[in-house]
Amino acid sequence: MAAADLNSIRATIEGRLATELANSPAIPVVFNNMAYEPTPNSSWVQCQVDFGSNEHLAQGSTANARNRIVGLTVINIFSAKGVGPGANYTIGKRIRDLYNRVIVSGVFFDAPTGPEALASPAPEGYFQTQVRVTFEFIEEL
Amino acid sequence: MAVLRGEQGAVQFDAAGSSNATIVGTRSWSLSTTKETLDISKHGDTFRSFVGSMISGSGTVELVYDPDATGQAAFLEDVLTTADPADATFELFTTGTTSGTDSVSFAGIITDMEITSTVGEIDIVTCNFITSGTITGNLE
Repeated sequence: MAAADLNSIRATIEGRLATELANSPAIPVVFNNMAYEPTPNSSWVQCQVDFGSNEHLAQGSTANARNRIVGLTVINIFSAKGVGPGANYTIGKRIRDLYNRVIVSGVFFDAPTGPEALASPAPEGYFQTQVRVTFEFIEEL
Repeated sequence: MAVLRGEQGAVQFDAAGSSNATIVGTRSWSLSTTKETLDISKHGDTFRSFVGSMISGSGTVELVYDPDATGQAAFLEDVLTTADPADATFELFTTGTTSGTDSVSFAGIITDMEITSTVGEIDIVTCNFITSGTITGNLE
């Protein structure tokens, strides 16, 4: 076996979201380190994948060993301000369903948290909710 | 001289006792070795005296369950061996996998196997064993 390819794990997570939000009705989605200028009063989504702590899972030093890699996907959903939460939560359901307890390419997604409404949207001028999904990947050395 | 950590360890096993191979996915192992004693105190003694007698061992191997991991199935299913002749061989390593080095080896019997599946957690298998016959220590 080989060490985990973190970029491949990231691509698995982000690709799933990009594919879903390309379906009708399509929603723009922006990922880490990408420039984006949102259209006022439109809906759009921001996705950040972060890898967190790793831990030893099985014996074997660098051969025949297992590690647990844990990460967090934070998905911010922005929609027009002052028109109620419906449109935002409709997108939130699409995103939540996308990861809810799903196992894809060895990535185990937990039950998502949210969508939670944020009191201080960033950037301002939108109604913002957030979906957070923790995930695990078992690295086989 | 160096302190060791558990991730350096390994377990090798062969159900037929001919050629030990590493079990992939072992999380931990433990071995407890006991020597019985015989009281050889004599009439008139004021302090008890003993000699060592029979030596035996028992322990546990814990696995991160993976049905495809090399060696796991043969190990955890050895508990199903009927009329077990104790022909299975074990070698428990504190570090590395060089036979006869930093290890304890013995023949033994897996006496029970427990597999645990819990929501949100990794499936774990726990096997208990007893030794049969000579226990060879190479922990120096």
